[in-house]
Amino acid sequence: MNTKKSGRVFCITFLLLFGGGFLLCLFMPKAEYLYSERRMPAPAPELSADAVKSGRFMEDFDDFAVDAFPFRENFRKIKSYTAGKIFGRRDNNGIYAADGYISAMEYPMNEDSLEHAADRFRYVCEKYLTDKNKVYLSVIPDKNCFLAEESGHLSMDYAEFEQQMAAKLDFAEYIPVSDLLELDDYYKTDPHWRQEKIMDVAKRLAQAMGTELSQDYKSYTLKPDFYGAYYGQAALPLAPDSIQYMTTEATDSCTVYDGQNQKEIPVYDLEKAAGRDPYEMFLSGSLSLITINNPAAAGKKLVIFRDSFGSSIAPLLISGYSQITLVDIRYIHPDFLEKFIDFGDSDVLFLYSTLVLNNSDTIR
Amino acid sequence: MLFSSITFLYYFLPLTVFLYFIAPRRLKNSVLLFAGMVFYGWGEPKYIWLLACSIVSGYVSGLLVEKYREKRAGKIFCSISIAVSLSFLLYFKYVDFFLANFSAVTGMKLSLLRPALPVGISFYTFQLISYTVDVYRGAGAQRNMVRLAVYISLFPQLVAGPIVRYHDIEGQLKDREHSWHGAAEGIRRFVTGLAKKVLLADQLGELCSAYTVSAEKSVLFCWLYALAFALQIYFDFSGYSDMAVGLCRVFGFHLPENFHYPLISASITEFWRRWHISLGRWFRDYVYIPLGGNRKGRGRQMLNILVVWVLTGFWHGAAWNFILWGLLFAILLAAEKFWLLNKLEKSRVLSRVYTLFFVLLSFVIFSAENAGQALYNLGGLFGAGGIPFVSDEAVYSLQSFGIVLLAGITGATPTVRILAEKLSERPAGGRIIRGFEPFVFAALVIVITAYLVDGSFQPFLYFRF
Repeated sequence: MNTKKSGRVFCITFLLLFGGGFLLCLFMPKAEYLYSERRMPAPAPELSADAVKSGRFMEDFDDFAVDAFPFRENFRKIKSYTAGKIFGRRDNNGIYAADGYISAMEYPMNEDSLEHAADRFRYVCEKYLTDKNKVYLSVIPDKNCFLAEESGHLSMDYAEFEQQMAAKLDFAEYIPVSDLLELDDYYKTDPHWRQEKIMDVAKRLAQAMGTELSQDYKSYTLKPDFYGAYYGQAALPLAPDSIQYMTTEATDSCTVYDGQNQKEIPVYDLEKAAGRDPYEMFLSGSLSLITINNPAAAGKKLVIFRDSFGSSIAPLLISGYSQITLVDIRYIHPDFLEKFIDFGDSDVLFLYSTLVLNNSDTIR
Repeated sequence: MLFSSITFLYYFLPLTVFLYFIAPRRLKNSVLLFAGMVFYGWGEPKYIWLLACSIVSGYVSGLLVEKYREKRAGKIFCSISIAVSLSFLLYFKYVDFFLANFSAVTGMKLSLLRPALPVGISFYTFQLISYTVDVYRGAGAQRNMVRLAVYISLFPQLVAGPIVRYHDIEGQLKDREHSWHGAAEGIRRFVTGLAKKVLLADQLGELCSAYTVSAEKSVLFCWLYALAFALQIYFDFSGYSDMAVGLCRVFGFHLPENFHYPLISASITEFWRRWHISLGRWFRDYVYIPLGGNRKGRGRQMLNILVVWVLTGFWHGAAWNFILWGLLFAILLAAEKFWLLNKLEKSRVLSRVYTLFFVLLSFVIFSAENAGQALYNLGGLFGAGGIPFVSDEAVYSLQSFGIVLLAGITGATPTVRILAEKLSERPAGGRIIRGFEPFVFAALVIVITAYLVDGSFQPFLYFRF
């Protein structure tokens, strides 16, 4: 091929590439929802003189163009592959894969964040609790605790993390659970723990709080493949998880009230299991206030201040309590709680993952 | 608008190229002018008037300066034109610097005006000055306003150079050749620049960000940062220049080169002959030589060097660390000119180590938010403040960015170019390169697109200057 001809071939290749890309951008149908990223795409910008003058149209168009780009998901996979395999990057935007698991690096330990969380927990206790309430704290390590250091990623000192939280909340009895957990107790593609693997954790908590749980569990496996929150972020070709859930007589007979939306909800919402975030099947996901009443048990009540990890363990604890109230003070300010909760002589458990404690600015 | 954006690559560029090549020859400049205004207005709609005013002011000044060139009025019009151009720059870029320092010195609490810096103002102001001065020195004023507007607002080089001197491009504004070969050359150059920016500079930027937010500074981390930032700014800026030169080539323009492997230089003098060449030439032609250059004795030459490098530093940003940066180069360049250069010539290895050492230090000063942080970061390189030699984050960054750094170091030398040239000299090698080249570059575009779609873009560093 002579220089003249090769120049022509080169130009035509790029005419097809950019010209074809332009036509696809214009005419290819746009995704209504970005499933792997669990979000709506940026909408097409509205054209108006004001929007152009202020620059809003251009900013919105840039966002739209990226989100609506043809074959977006495949391009994200190419990026992830190139970053890992060609450039040898240990993580892709903070997400890494090791031993078939995907995780987001959580580093370093943010002492200010721990202090903030402890302050807010202390505030709740001082405002609402009396000597009648026993207070407990348990810290759930995220899966980096079992994955990061071994795979050569940055890892916090989890023992130090727990020690610091326990020391900051010295009025609470600390219940350690990290010794009961290991890597396969977590989903491979999601940050959360697997409900069927944490019965020993539930028993430890119950025992420390002076109650006993039913031993009679039935396990169910959901058919749909579960692609967790990290799956879409990683854009790596990994096998999906499956979700199992556990029932007891207590979970079958209890009633669950969603205080945020003021309606009854199921313990396990199978519709949500088939939805965009299947982990939301456990007590319907992120809700600020949930009350579980167990008519089969008498007496003991528990209030759990919790994050999303609490959604899957609370059903395992209900057999030991007549009532469990779950409060997420990321979504409701503690000052409003007196309207909804009578703390009475309930036990109070602060059950939080290291992920939330280390990024606690959302805790009110 | 950024070159490294989906909007530019898949909307603006195909449309502009299409309109440009279907337009009759007499309308091609109008297409470029319109594209330039859309390109600029996309990011800076509120400052498009400023660009338009600058163009009109340059056009009128050019005609007046030409008309009265032989008279005193010519000098006055030229001075007024330069003053008008500089006054925009002074207001938007430097007014708060002067107010803040005036307040600090006098104790008066003056409110800052906080004007938003119009993108590219430092570049197009210098082009306007170049035009007016060239006309004053004898070049013909541009009577066609569209041509002058294209010179100022040619979108590939509008916001970050290279700074094109008017007489270098005057003929091409009127008439230029278009060819498949030239366009192919331009596309190659454009994609190379895009890859430098997206695949190297932006990834190195992630390492720099990791250092900046880290609470675990260590000597190793400080040096990694110094190296990563020097490579980042090199690939960011030279990548932009490659894209500008390449795109202009597609439209038939030949722009001057702006970088020539500066990080392999054996002296600071050589470094500045290879780094941001168009800025160095501008300061030489429009400041250093008019001040007397080296024609008025050693003392005056020293002073001229000092003035030029303080101004060069100040051009890069309205902060003391940029002035410090310029001063450092003034001292090094003066030392080389009067004493050191002969000694450096004795060892190519040591001279390169010396150059790289001071270049890295200079960019640590350059990258700081202020002079205090510059000194803190410099101290970190030598363990000041009792920081440890290594930290977990430094080791992790080295492991995670090792290949990117290696690719950066290799790419900063002419190794790949020399290998490709040697291969193409052989008949079979030439055929292989020509056969595979389109696919290799297309694959590169796909990977770059993947990085852009994933949203890991970073704005060009030189947009803030």
